[in-house]
Order: sequence, then structure tokens, then C-alpha cells
Amino acid sequence: MTSEATNNGKPDKAKSNEGGSPDLTTAVRLSKTLGGEVNRGDVILKVRDLSVNFWVNNGWFTAADKLSYDLKAGEVLAIVGESGSGKTQSAMSLIGLLPKNGRASGSAKLKDTELIGMSINQLQHIRGNEISVIFQEPMTALNPVYTVGFQIVETLRTHFVMAPSQAKKRAIELMTLVEIPDPIDSFDKFPHQLSGGQRQRIMIAQALACDPKLLIADEPTTALDVTVQGEILKLMRELRERVTAAIILITHDMGVVADMADRIVVMKDGQVVEHGTSDEIFNRPEHPYTRQLLDSVPHLGSVTAEEELPAARLTLVSEGEQAGVPLEAGDPSVTPAMLMEDVAIEYPKQGRRPAFRAAHHINLRVDPGDVVGLVGESGSGKTTIGRAAVALLPVAEGKLTINGRDVTSAKPSELKPFRKEVGIVFQDPGSSLNPRLPVGESIGEPILLHLGLGGSELSKRVENLLESVQLPRAMRNRYPHELSGGQRQRIGIARALALQPKLLIADEPTSALDVSVQARVLKLFQDLQAEYGFACVFISHDLAVVEMLSQRIAVMRHGYLVEVGPTKEIVSDPQHPYTQRLLSAVPVPDPAEQKRRRELRDAIIEEQHIVS
Amino acid sequence: MLRFIARRLAIAVGLLLVLSVLMYWLLDIAMDPLDDLRTSPALNRDQLIELRVLQLNLDQPWYVRYWHWLTNCFQGNFGTAWRTGQSVNSLLGGAALTSIQLVFAATVIALLLGVTIGLLSALRQYTTFDYAITFVSFVLYALPIFWVAVLLKQYLAIGVNDYLNNPVMNWPVVLGISVIAGLFWAGALGTDLKRQLIVFGGAFAITLGTLCYILLSGWILRPQIGIVGIAIIGAAAAYAVTLIFSGINNKRALYSALTTAVVGVGTYVGVQWLFYYVPMNELWLIGLLLVAIAIALLIGWLWGGPDRAVSMRGAAVVAVIMSVFVYVDRVLQGWQTYMNMSAINRRPIATIGSQTPNLGGDFWIAQLDKWTHLLLPTIALVLISFAGYTRYQRGSMLEVMNQDYIRTARAKGLSERIVIVRHALRNALLPLASIVPVDFITMIGGAVITETIFNWAGMGRMFVTSLAQSEPDPVMIYIIITGGLAMIANLVADFLYGILDPRIRVNA
Amino acid sequence: MSTDDKPERTPAEEPEFGSQLGGQPDDAIDVDPLATPPGEAADEAAFGRGEGVGDSKEVEGLSQGQIVWSRFIRHKGAMGGMIVLGLVALLSLTSMGAFGIPGWWRIQNFNSSGNVINGAAPTLKLWPFTLGEHPFGQDDIGRDNFALVMKGIQTSLLVMVVLGIIALLIGVAVGALSGYYRGKIDTALMRFTDLVITLPVIVMGAVLGKLINTLPDKMGWSYDVTQAIRDNLPLLLAIMLGLVLWTGLARLVRSEFLTLREREFVDAARVAGASDWRIISKHILPNAVGVIIVNTTLMMAAAVTLEAALSFLGFGVKAPNVSLGMLISQYQGAFATRPWLFWWPGLFIILIALSINFIGDGLRDAFDPRTKRIPSQRQMNKAMAQILNDNTEKAGAAK
Repeated sequence: MTSEATNNGKPDKAKSNEGGSPDLTTAVRLSKTLGGEVNRGDVILKVRDLSVNFWVNNGWFTAADKLSYDLKAGEVLAIVGESGSGKTQSAMSLIGLLPKNGRASGSAKLKDTELIGMSINQLQHIRGNEISVIFQEPMTALNPVYTVGFQIVETLRTHFVMAPSQAKKRAIELMTLVEIPDPIDSFDKFPHQLSGGQRQRIMIAQALACDPKLLIADEPTTALDVTVQGEILKLMRELRERVTAAIILITHDMGVVADMADRIVVMKDGQVVEHGTSDEIFNRPEHPYTRQLLDSVPHLGSVTAEEELPAARLTLVSEGEQAGVPLEAGDPSVTPAMLMEDVAIEYPKQGRRPAFRAAHHINLRVDPGDVVGLVGESGSGKTTIGRAAVALLPVAEGKLTINGRDVTSAKPSELKPFRKEVGIVFQDPGSSLNPRLPVGESIGEPILLHLGLGGSELSKRVENLLESVQLPRAMRNRYPHELSGGQRQRIGIARALALQPKLLIADEPTSALDVSVQARVLKLFQDLQAEYGFACVFISHDLAVVEMLSQRIAVMRHGYLVEVGPTKEIVSDPQHPYTQRLLSAVPVPDPAEQKRRRELRDAIIEEQHIVS
Repeated sequence: MLRFIARRLAIAVGLLLVLSVLMYWLLDIAMDPLDDLRTSPALNRDQLIELRVLQLNLDQPWYVRYWHWLTNCFQGNFGTAWRTGQSVNSLLGGAALTSIQLVFAATVIALLLGVTIGLLSALRQYTTFDYAITFVSFVLYALPIFWVAVLLKQYLAIGVNDYLNNPVMNWPVVLGISVIAGLFWAGALGTDLKRQLIVFGGAFAITLGTLCYILLSGWILRPQIGIVGIAIIGAAAAYAVTLIFSGINNKRALYSALTTAVVGVGTYVGVQWLFYYVPMNELWLIGLLLVAIAIALLIGWLWGGPDRAVSMRGAAVVAVIMSVFVYVDRVLQGWQTYMNMSAINRRPIATIGSQTPNLGGDFWIAQLDKWTHLLLPTIALVLISFAGYTRYQRGSMLEVMNQDYIRTARAKGLSERIVIVRHALRNALLPLASIVPVDFITMIGGAVITETIFNWAGMGRMFVTSLAQSEPDPVMIYIIITGGLAMIANLVADFLYGILDPRIRVNA
Repeated sequence: MSTDDKPERTPAEEPEFGSQLGGQPDDAIDVDPLATPPGEAADEAAFGRGEGVGDSKEVEGLSQGQIVWSRFIRHKGAMGGMIVLGLVALLSLTSMGAFGIPGWWRIQNFNSSGNVINGAAPTLKLWPFTLGEHPFGQDDIGRDNFALVMKGIQTSLLVMVVLGIIALLIGVAVGALSGYYRGKIDTALMRFTDLVITLPVIVMGAVLGKLINTLPDKMGWSYDVTQAIRDNLPLLLAIMLGLVLWTGLARLVRSEFLTLREREFVDAARVAGASDWRIISKHILPNAVGVIIVNTTLMMAAAVTLEAALSFLGFGVKAPNVSLGMLISQYQGAFATRPWLFWWPGLFIILIALSINFIGDGLRDAFDPRTKRIPSQRQMNKAMAQILNDNTEKAGAAK
């Protein structure tokens, strides 16, 4: 369906706005504006006693309780909190986008217009026009059956009297503004034909289309890779200088907050626990929760900052685009826990879909007791390596040795003794436990299958394992859905350690968890590693986490290992351009330091001419 | 794309061949062509049996007969129904077309009704309206089609025919219908109590007025729409189409729709002359429809402005609606002649066959006759399958309404109408592509029953009688045609899916 | 997304059994914004409710089966269906007897004719409730319609259960094998499924029904065998129809398996050393049980009408057995004179099919974790007003 004429609007006062983007000044705004010039520094949003309630299980539950804050034009207000803190819903209530069972009460005034309790017809003039939203998941937030250009044009033509050709011109301008490569071509592309970063840029362009006074960015970079996140943040900061809109940034990532925010609201359980400027919150946090939150965030560079680098470098760097690093020389007297020699890994052919090679020429050695961090962005092949190491994926080329046993071409029946010595912790604690089994059975399964233990013997083992991951013994009879995410991940770790493996693969075990929970799970993991002494491949996209845990780091990109070396060396002095970019893109929860790192990052991006 | 189609066609032909072998074998086991002779008291029984074995080549193994049958088929000879000696080709001639007509009409009506009502039900989720629709669709879904068909044939048809000859005003019934109509529309369109009351009042008054007019003015004895009726329908269609597709605020779209309606009314008189002086046929009708659409597109284009496509589409839809009613009007003009024809004998709602034999009369009478025969079997088929579509569309609409992009559309400030029609409905219709072929097959199965009950000379009845009579050839050709239709339906659906959903790239 | 030989679809969109009542996530409402209700502190108490646990307050200490059950018994439609179906089954089983035990109805030989009393009209009176001589009336040769209909219900129930079991076994086996092993096994099994699904079930059913009806005579089997087949015709018919009706279930189970086998707990089981059989039976199947139960139920509803339709067409149950469809077929001509012969069997077919459909709907809602009933706006407003009221009272009291 094409867009439709909207030429009945009374010619409203054309909005003049020096910060605004070019063409709009001449277009006739169809929707009523709130009127009045907006200058930087004017208070444009006044929130007083804003509460959001939800109807759950036959009762009203308070998701946000009596929020109050002001927001000035041109300012970025970050609302920070962990999941369930009410940060998103309190912002959505501003434009009446609560789910059906939600209610907002209190007051929120945009300029002088009360937003809470506004009729749907009036709200339609506010949405997209005065207040626009950037959503978290650019994949699902754009309609899959329309081109991205159409979706931007649609926004424009809803609020402006504009011919399709004009709107298209303006949309392409906007797409240029958000640095979509080849905007004229991209105009006719469907969302699935763009990358995640590009889709998020389209979301931003769409949000900016009508030159709104307020922009709500709901976790705008959470679904993106760290380097893409860096670019999007850079874009948003540049736009901030160019438009006068105020921005509400909703996020759980203290690094992003440090990068962007002027002022910060910290929320917990629907309550505002602290409210202050960026400087105050980061440098002089008062509420214990804020302090705890800041302490939980792994801070890149905090571990090795003061130590000297050894004189002799051990880092190996790949030579070119299509080459991996060579194998490091190891102590010949030690049998490596895992040794990959020029390994290539393929996802097997599926019907008419050809086999897909996800990792090429991998040379990696993990010695007993070592923790090797494997980092890379989504699609880089790091999970592939982890899955191959526990024989969930076949090795297509090269040689894979686990604990001295060659498993390259082992038949399924020969894998049993090998499987006794490896364990894996999966990323998603919601998916890695069988919902129909009590967690005790999940933990006990490897013991049952390999040692043939049953009855009280098995119970005892399971209870010991639960204790070692600091969970009460009684929990063995619970089902996964009764446990919290952190508890589930502890169960996952207990299962992986059930047979005391010599090699543990940890595939992003904490990335689905809130920061405070992540901190505790990571601590537990460190303790267990010290206690059991297993070798570990710790896969993560989060360099700060990897830095905390591992002795060595391996960096993956597009299926190749591009750099391998001791953690200290990699973090403080990366060699490969990609590693440099990756490191510089990680935001750190410290505004001053982040400012410095940001400049460095922008310089690197400039220098390497990278466009996402 | 071509490779994709070729590949799928090849697979379909292969499947069809395998299916034919399997079914021939099964039929060979299941059929007993000698059953009447086995218990025959005739003295020359053994001789008769021998004769029949020779006649049907029963002394040869089934695969030899299959091969014989297959090679004949490729030469265009589909065999004979041996009990009557009729060739399958002659049996099939009218039968296939009749059945496809029935199934196709029923599918289209069920789809339109089911999707609309499912959509309304989803939009009014957890209201009394929604619960009522859900309950009714469950009841319809549980109805056995043969029971409904017998009910329609033995009960409704007789009653309606009686009533048509002696239409009297029955106030309680008329009021009851009006109240139900009012409640339905209030539930479907009302959002709050005030609007519900307004809609209820409006729908009640319109229904009551229409029914009173029909019954009191003697319209039912001389049914026609007339130029006034066409004008009212045209105006209503213009407003409704504009409201749904482009919003009433889009003046250009509204004007082009209204202009189309006016032009339609204007040509009404001319078309009557044409109908009177030129003998019509189906080709003429299709041609006239295309001309009407072309004129409407031109009107839309002329009014167009920057959004030509929207205006043109709206105008074309109005033109189609009006053409349909002009056609209905012309068909109804033959009503009195038809009623009084000797073959009809003032009992117009037919319960037997797909047309009245030896009817006489012109093209329009034949059209009317066709519709009166199609009426009951189609209702039976629609009643059963539309419930499934309602449930499915409701579920798929609810699913889509919870998607993130619907929230995005709302956050952009789009009106609820655009959010629903453009963003939700479009996505909610996609999965129908995989449902319609399955339902089409079910519908063919339903036709087996309705054709038997209403004595239609269709393929379904041919299948039932031939299977009962142990005649393999007609049954086989039925299986081949049905299987072929099912495969074509699937192919078309996949093809549509690939076109409508940009996420799917069809590369063979 | 590239395609195999079909455009790819999400499992939810797979066409399903019969006329698609099952499967689609109906009434799916996400009440998502609340991670954990208050008070559910777990061990992360000091850190707030951080993690998405869903509504664990409601479900604490319950296995998933118990949760499904508790949701099911709260479903009004399903409970109504259970009660109606139970009553119908009870009535038919006790009145005409079953498993060799005679019933309480005085006419146990349902085929015996008698004197036509009172123009064969039904004697059933609701108030005061009396059955009379022939509650559902008689046919032209004086057979008792009540006895016939009750026996017919027994046939329907038997067909429903047997067909359900057969189709369940085949459907789950085919679906599980093709979904789990994929590749060539999948292609072969799915091609076969396509083959069976190509023809309307009624056509396949008619051919198979004809087959068991003609076979004894055609093959000239001995009297005992022929008689055994005749006596157990409904059972044999049910088995035959089970061989036709499994396809929808197989497709659904397959797509469920395709999704579930990618879940991480399956990988975890594999790493733990579990065999294929253990993974299928212990890990995947229990998680697919919702889809299987719901669709088997809906399939059984379709089975009731399918059997009736085949008997109506003359390819199903034949005398001396009785089936509701057969009764309708026999008496359709008598509609004008003895309409009760048409209404009673029809009414019971509808009652049975309708109750099973409602049960199926309740099961689907119970198994679908996304289903949450949202109360009417009015109810929510009332509760909200209550809270506001309480707050003002408290505030007043504080002063």
C-alpha cells in the first residue's frame, strides 16, 4: 500500500527552528504543534509524580512509583536501571504506549501540554511529531514488509503536507544525515536487507524525521555489536549538537551512560534512588544501590592499568584479511587441554542449503588450568569454536586435540570418554535447562550417563554440586522456570562441572544477565576455577569481562583468529587494527576517561575509514 | 523464479504419479466388481462372471491394468464407467467445471467473511462481541456438513420457497433480526458505550427500515435494485472504501470514489439498453467489468494529485462493487418471468442439481437459474469453513498486534486505522497463504458431500457413485484432478507468499 | 533467507490439521513489563529484582504439568466441554451398556422393531422430567430412536478414541523422526506426508472404508472371520481412518522438533553424553507434549464428524452396527414426517464435537505460556479506583 494524501490540513504555522534540518522549514506541518520557539536550555519536559501500574494476577502492581524530573532542550537524561526497574515503561507512558494492562497517573508536561491522560487523537499529533522513539530491537521494530524509505516517508507525510517526491527527498536527506551508505539505493531496501547497525540508523532517521522536541531512546545500542554501538553513539552525539531535541536515554549500560548523559536518574524497583548530574553520579554516588551498580560493572583496563609490560612480546597477529594467527609454541612437556591446529569448522549441509564454513585456519592452544578469553562480535565464529571443542560441530579440516585425544574424526560412539572430560556453559540460561526436568536431574544427567550412578549416591553428588555453586540443596527439586536467571546460570555451571572436566567452554555465560548478577556469577566462576583448576575457553563479546577472568585473549573476526596473546598485552597495546577498534569501542563507566577514549576511538575510526 | 516453478511442478507431477499408482492399487483391493454376481441366483452365473472378468481384464495383475489406464490417459482417453458404459471423458466434461465453480465460490466467500469477522473479533478482544463470535465459530466448526446440507435442503429451502410465494409481515421476526443486526454492528464497531449505542441505533433503524420496505412494498415479489438503489449503494461504497483504504480526510480519494459512483449511476441506463439489444454472454460481462475498472482508474488518475495510486485503487474498488450490483439488478429483472416458468413452478430455491433441465429463456434467466442452484450448497460449504478462517485470522491478528513494529507505527503518530490496515492486517494476512490451500482441499472434500446431497452432477458425486459401483476409472480421474488442484493451490500459495513477503527470496 | 524447495515459514505458520483450529498462538498477550513481582527476591535480594523470571510468584513450587492443569481447570469453556462430554458418554454407556455389562434402558436390542406408538413421536418431557416409552421417538418400523442414538454415540466415542491413539502414534513417530534427524529421512517422510495430505481426508477415508466393507466378501473369507469383521467394523474403520488423519499432527510435531532440537538444553544433553533416543524421549518429547495433546484433541473432534460423514455416504459403519452419521443418512428422507430421527443424532454429533473443541481450546490456552487473560476495562478501573480510594483514606488517616 502506498502512502496517502494528507492535503486537508489547515496550513499551520511553519515551524522555524534553527537547529532543525534543512527542508522542513518550508513544509507545512499538518499536526498541530505545541507552538513557541524552543531554545537550548528551556525546560521542555516536566515530570511530576509519574506512576505506572500494571494489572497482573488480579491486582495492580506498581512498575514506576512517583517519578519526578525536568528535562531541558538539548540535554541528555539517562534513566538507568536493571531489568524490571520500570525505566522503559515510565518513558513509554509519556506517549501513551503502555501495554493494554498498564495505566499511568501523575503528570508529565511537554512545554505546557499535559501528556498523561491525553486522548488518543491528540496523542497521535504528539507521537512521532513532538516526541519520537528509538526502539531497542531494530530487527523487529521495523515493519518487515515495507521498504525502509517508505517507513520514513510515512512518518513525514503523517505530520506534514508533503508530496511523495518531496518526502522522498527529505527521507534521503535524513538517511544521509545518519550516514546510511548509498542512501538512494537503500531507500528501496527492506529492513532484512540491512545490517543491524544500518537498521538502527534508519530508526534514528525516522525518529528525527519531524524534528521532534523530545527523543526517547530505549536501549538504542543494546542489540548491537560493540564497534557498531560505538558508531551509533558517535552519530547520536553528533546529532545532539545539530538538533535541539532533548533526549531521554534508557539503558542498563553504565558505559553508554558515561558516554552520552548530562544527567542521570537511577531507578530500582520502580523507585528513583538517585538523581543527579553525570559527574555527581559517577564520581560521588550517594545511594548504596548506585555504588553497588557502579562497582558491578567490569571496567576495561582496570586490571592491568598500572603494571609494566614485559619486554619480550608474546602476542601473535595475523598477516592479512584471509589468514589466521600461527600456532604459538607451547611447553612440549605439557599436554594441552585443547589444541586446534589449522582447524576449519563447518555447519553441515542442510537440505538444499549448502554447508557454511564459520571458522577458518584456527590455531589455538589452551594449556591445563589456563583461562583463554575468546572475543569477537556476533557472527565472528567464536561460538562455533566453542561448539566444535565439545564435538557439537564437526571439524572440517585440520586437527583438534582435546586433553591429548584426537577427536577430529571421532565417530559419535567414540566420543563418550572424551565427553567425560569436557563441559560447556551456555549463553541463555532460559534455554539451556530442560523446562520439563527438575534442575537436579539436569545436573545429574552427566553423572548418570557416564558413571552410572543413581539413587542416593547421585543425590549426594548433585547436592554437593549445588552447594559448590552456592545454591541451597533443596533447589534440586525445583523447575527452571521457578528460578531467577542468575540461579539458572549457576545450575548451568554446576552441570558443566558435574564430572570435574579438564576443559570447560563458557559461551557468553553472563551476557543475558543484569550487571549486578553478572558480577556475582563471574566471582563465583573465578572461585570455582581456582578451586577445580580446569582449563577454560571463555567466550564473550565483552572485553572487560574477559579481561577480568583470563590470562590470555584470542580475538576473532569474520571466522579468523586475528590476534592472540597475554591479556595485559592485548588490552594495553593491541596490534591488529581490528583489535584496536574493538578495544577503543568499549565504553567505560567513567565520563572523564570515556571522553578521552572516545576521542581515541573517533581518531581510529577516521584513520581506518570504517563505515558500518 | 522460473526455476523454482519448474522444480515445484516437476515434484508435483512426480507426486501425482506416485499417488495414482498407490490409489490404483488401493482401489483394486477395495473394489469388488463382481459383488452383484457373487450372490446372483442366475443359472449362468459362472459364465457371467467369466464375461465380466474378460471385460474388465481382471485376469491381469493390477499393475498391468494400471499401465494400460495410464497410457490411455496420456492419449486423452480417461476410460469408461463400465456399469453404464459411459466414457469418463463425457462424464467429466461438465462435472469438473461445476465442482470447481462451487468450491471456488465457497472458498472466496468463506475467506472474505472469515477474515473480516476474525479481524473484528481480534480488535475487540475479550469483549462480549469477541466471545460471541468465538462461540458461534466453535459451534459452526463442530457442525457436520452433511447434517447442515440436509437441514438446508429439507427445511430451509421448503420454508423459503413457501414464504416467497406468500410474503407476509412477521413483526417479531423482523424486530428480532433488526436487534441482532444492531447488536452485531454495535459490538463490531463500537469502542465505548456512547458509540455502541449510536451504532446500535443506526444499524437497528437501517435494518428495520430495509426489511419493512422489502416486505411491505411487495419488493420481494418483484425484486430489483433500480437506479435509486444503485445510486445509494454507489454512494455508500464510495464512503466506505475511502474510509477504510485512505481515510475520509483524503478528499481527492473521496472525490474520485464519488465521481466513479456518479459515473456508474449515469451509465446504468445505457447499460440497460445494451443488455436489452445485445445478447450477452460471460465474455461480454468480463469485458464490461474491465471497461468499468478502466474508467474508474482514469477517474482516480485525473483526481489523483500526489497520491494517484490511492485514489485509483479506491475508485476501482467502487467500480467493481457497482458493477456487481448492476449485474445483480439485471439478473433480478428476470425474477418474475423465472418464477412463472413451468419448470420452476414458483419454487425458485433449488435443492436438486446444478441447473434446471429444459428451462429455456435467455442468458439472464440461465444466470438466475445458476445462482438459485448454487445458493444452498455454497451456504453449506461456507458455514463450515468460514469458522476456521475466523479463528485463524483472529489468532494471527492478535499475534501481529503484539509485534514491535506495531508499537513503532503507533509511536510514529499514525492513526489507529493506518496501524491496523496498513501495518497489522498486511502482515496478518501473510500466513493465510499457507492455510488457504489446505482449506481448499478440505473444501473439495466437503463438496463430495454437498454434491451428493444436492444431487449435483459434479465430480464429487461422480466419485461417490463410482466408488460405490466399483468403477475404477472415474474414481481415478477424480483423484488425479483433485490431487492436481491441491498441488496447484499449494504452488500458487507459495508463489504468492514469495511475492508478498519480501523476506522470502525464492531461489530454486 | 534462502529457501529449500518451499519458502521458509515459521513453525507457527505451518498449515495444520483440518480447518486450522489448532496451533496458532491464539489470544497471545504479553504482559511483559514485569520481570518479577515484588517479594520474589530470590538470592539477588540486595540487588533488586534484576532478572526476568516471569510470574514465578504464581507458580512457585509447581511443576509445569501442575501449572497447565491449574490453568486448564480455570478455563470455563473447557470445563463446560468436559462436563458435557462426560455426561453424554455416561448416558450412552450406562443406558446401552458396554464391555459386556448390560445397560439400564429397557430396549437393549437396538435393531428390534416394535409397535409404532403415538405416531412414533418422542415421549421425552422436560417438565416434569419423564422419559416415557420412546423418549427420542421411533422410526417407521418402530425401532427405538433412543437406543439407536445411544448406541451410535458409543460408536462415535470408540472411533474417536481409537482413531486418536493410532493417529497420535503415527503422527508423533513420523514428526519426531523427520524433525530430529532432518536430512534424507525428513525429505522421505515429508514427501510421503505430502502424498497422503494431497487428497481430502474424506476421499481417502471413503476408499479405505470401502475396502474394509468389501474385503470379506471379495476374498471369500470364512464365516467366522467375516462375522468378526462385521462385528468390529467401527473399530476397524477407526484404525483405517487413523492411517489417514495423522498427517497434520506429523507436520506440527516435526516443526516443533525442528525448533526444540536447536535449543541449548538439547546440546547440553548431548554434551552430557545422552543418546539420540534419550534426547528424543526425555528431552524433546516432553517439551512438545503441549502441541501434541492440543492437536490430538482437535483431531478427535474432526474424527467424530469424519466418521459420521463416511457412514452418511455409505462407506463407513453399516448395519447391523449403528453410527450417528448412518442414522442421519437413513432418515434424511423422513425429515418432513419424522424430524426427530434427524435432530437427535445430529444434536449429539454436534455436542460431542463442540465439547471436544472447547476442551482443545482450553488445553491450548493452558499450554501456551503467553496466554494471559486480561480482565475487562471496567474490572481494571474498579480495582484502580479502589487503590486510589485506599490511598486517600490512608492519607486522611495519617492527618
